[in-house]
Amino acid sequence: MYSLNTPPHPLLLPPPLLTMSSTTTTSHLLHPFHHHHLPKPKPSPLRLRLRSALSDPRLLHLAEKLEDSVSPSLPLLHNLRLSSSDSILSKSWPTRRDDPFRYTDLSLLKSSQIEPSPPSPSSPLPDEPQLFPNRFYILDGHVIPSLSSLPNLPNGVYVGGISGVPDRIAGSVLDSFSGFRDGDLFWDLNGIGAPDVAVVYVPEGCRVEEPLHLKYVFGGGGGERRLAVSNPRVLVVVERGGEIGIVEEFGGGGGDGFYWANSVAEVAIGEGGRVSHSYVQRQELGSAHTKWTLVQQGSSSTYELVEISTGGKLSRHNLHIQQLGPDTVTELSSFHMSRSDQLLDLHSKLVLDHPRGYARQLHKCVVSHSSGKVVFDGNIQVNRYAQQTDAGQQTRSLPLTPRPCINVKPNLKIVADDVKCSHGAAISNLEDSQQLFYFKARGIDTQTARDAVVFSFGAEVLSRLPYEALRKSLASDLKGLIADKETIHLPDEI
Amino acid sequence: MALTLPSLLSTSSAASSPCLPPHRTLFTGPSTLSLNRSCRRRRSGPRASVAFDSPAEAGERGGSSSGELLLEVRGLSAVISESKKEVLRSVDLTVHQGEIHAIMGRNGSGKSTFSKVLAGHPQYEVTGGVVTFKGQNLLDMDPEERSHAGLFTSFQDPVEIPGISNYDFLLMAYNARQKKLNRPEIGPIEFFSVVDPKLAMLKMEKGFLDGHVNGASGGQKKRSEILQLAVLGADLCILDEIDSGLDVDALQDVAKAINGLLTPDNSILMITHYRRLLDYIKPAYVHIMEDGRIIKTGDASLAKQLEEGGFKAVSAT
Repeated sequence: MYSLNTPPHPLLLPPPLLTMSSTTTTSHLLHPFHHHHLPKPKPSPLRLRLRSALSDPRLLHLAEKLEDSVSPSLPLLHNLRLSSSDSILSKSWPTRRDDPFRYTDLSLLKSSQIEPSPPSPSSPLPDEPQLFPNRFYILDGHVIPSLSSLPNLPNGVYVGGISGVPDRIAGSVLDSFSGFRDGDLFWDLNGIGAPDVAVVYVPEGCRVEEPLHLKYVFGGGGGERRLAVSNPRVLVVVERGGEIGIVEEFGGGGGDGFYWANSVAEVAIGEGGRVSHSYVQRQELGSAHTKWTLVQQGSSSTYELVEISTGGKLSRHNLHIQQLGPDTVTELSSFHMSRSDQLLDLHSKLVLDHPRGYARQLHKCVVSHSSGKVVFDGNIQVNRYAQQTDAGQQTRSLPLTPRPCINVKPNLKIVADDVKCSHGAAISNLEDSQQLFYFKARGIDTQTARDAVVFSFGAEVLSRLPYEALRKSLASDLKGLIADKETIHLPDEI
Repeated sequence: MALTLPSLLSTSSAASSPCLPPHRTLFTGPSTLSLNRSCRRRRSGPRASVAFDSPAEAGERGGSSSGELLLEVRGLSAVISESKKEVLRSVDLTVHQGEIHAIMGRNGSGKSTFSKVLAGHPQYEVTGGVVTFKGQNLLDMDPEERSHAGLFTSFQDPVEIPGISNYDFLLMAYNARQKKLNRPEIGPIEFFSVVDPKLAMLKMEKGFLDGHVNGASGGQKKRSEILQLAVLGADLCILDEIDSGLDVDALQDVAKAINGLLTPDNSILMITHYRRLLDYIKPAYVHIMEDGRIIKTGDASLAKQLEEGGFKAVSAT
């Protein structure tokens, strides 16, 4: 739960030294670049004011229910909640006319009755092999210290709920909330409905050897056309020269599938810091999964993301990376497999404003079901001062059905004039694949060969996961998904 | 009869490109097979006549004997499936058990295409001719059936397959064969005892097995192909530029391994640019390919002639 030198259990203790008085902490809460945006904290409890001409009544109704569902006694979240409430007043449910949702059908959410997940999480956790010694559980958005195990954290590292953040780092933690203004309604709903924030703090120069496994578990509690929504939120702060590996894993056991996981992860990396981020989404097939990942990279920092998404009926990942200084390294790899009536969507945006950034993005997807859909919108902006940027972007799709639905839009917007940038999009045909022939030439039957080629396609991304235990677990999962011919619709033998 | 050595040597595509019926039954019936078997002459000399250590003294294999007919190619023509460009024009070739053949030719002469067409590569479409392998119509078979029938093609530049380890791939291929032969499949642990001696033979590190298929350097890829050959076995082994990308030491290792795999019953068809490979694996027959056809067939001296005078000297005759 916390570092070795931190006092016990924050949830059992009243927030000790951090009781916020509006004057002392305001400066922490305000992000330097967005001073004008965040409203001043008010002493009164949060309450939405929903009398705006632009408001969407249904959305505001949901926001109100979320607001009522969270405990008001977390003063450190006061400003986040307030700014989110403020922002949602101008939002409405997106339609296909809104560009970011042009190919993303949200009807699962629109047609369902949405209720906040039950306040006291009680769902039993699945008994499963543990991949990492450092584990932290987040159940329906609530941090669960009693289930977590953090034996291998160096001194000064904090992992726990926001109310337990030690005083010495409170300022840094609060400074690291981005105050991001370009979020969509999912971002705002999370800001309103997050019951807590799991804080991961790595002090200056500290290298955390063992990765931290964040396990997100969802109890469900909805039903037919009813989804229980929960809003997990994580804040990762890595100070100058610090290093950590984070594994975010969603789903993968238990739950009835009638839920909507609407999560946010904010990652702030200081100068020369490094975050290796593995994101595994294997939610129940009936569920909705929306996620924001917002990363701020200080100069000379490194951020590496490997995403493996195979779950959910509706899955949308908004990935937004801002470069705060020169010489950053950003490597993004994702693999999506749509193998039933499901939509997997990645909208990524990398904004480079400083010189000599290095960026690589690889997106790969398989659609193996006639109703499966994949959406990718990958945007890299190389702005005026981002000279000598080296950016490359690749997307490759492998359709296994006759009429797959794959929308990919890799795009680079380049304003700087001294840059090296490339991008490419390819749709492969399994039947023409050299690899398929190679297997067959060695006597391997067509079906086994096909399965192996599909696996190999995903394995290029899988192999970038830095942890062998996780790679093996996911490889075995992927083989199972490929071999499961109930859900795979391969074209007939030619 | 086209089976015998003299007629083979006299074969040139210009002289003979007979349009044979598509299902030539001469060698397919059991009676023919048994006849062939009874006629078969085993070589009398020591089997390992190809010694990589002393190439100068090594004899040529298959030169003094011809075993059972293994592969017969008559008038094989093919186009690239997509562009319909003609790439093979009536190729004739006969290989008996225990023979070593080499095909030489310039870049783009059709050597590699020929090997891929024999392996059943979907990139090419056969437009004419007959190919009989062990009495069966090879062109009717899928690539995997050709493999099960005993044809192994070592590709010039085998495709990389990320995420599948060499070990898993070998096991998959090995078990596919076991299944085809109605033998029990083998587990991943037992399989190591099958692979380990072959690795040693090729002087390969055990760590190689963990790497993914064809992910290694050019030289390792070639060894990997030979490792597959060693594990799977073959009656006819087509080696497409097995020497490219290998330094002398690596070439010797590979050649030694290939020679070690030879039995009186199996045969090699190797494709190469350079004569140096022929110092290590000695062919009895050398074929020169040009513009999609075999224009000349001779013994090893043809390779020498080629080296001295270039392809011009050979194609001019």
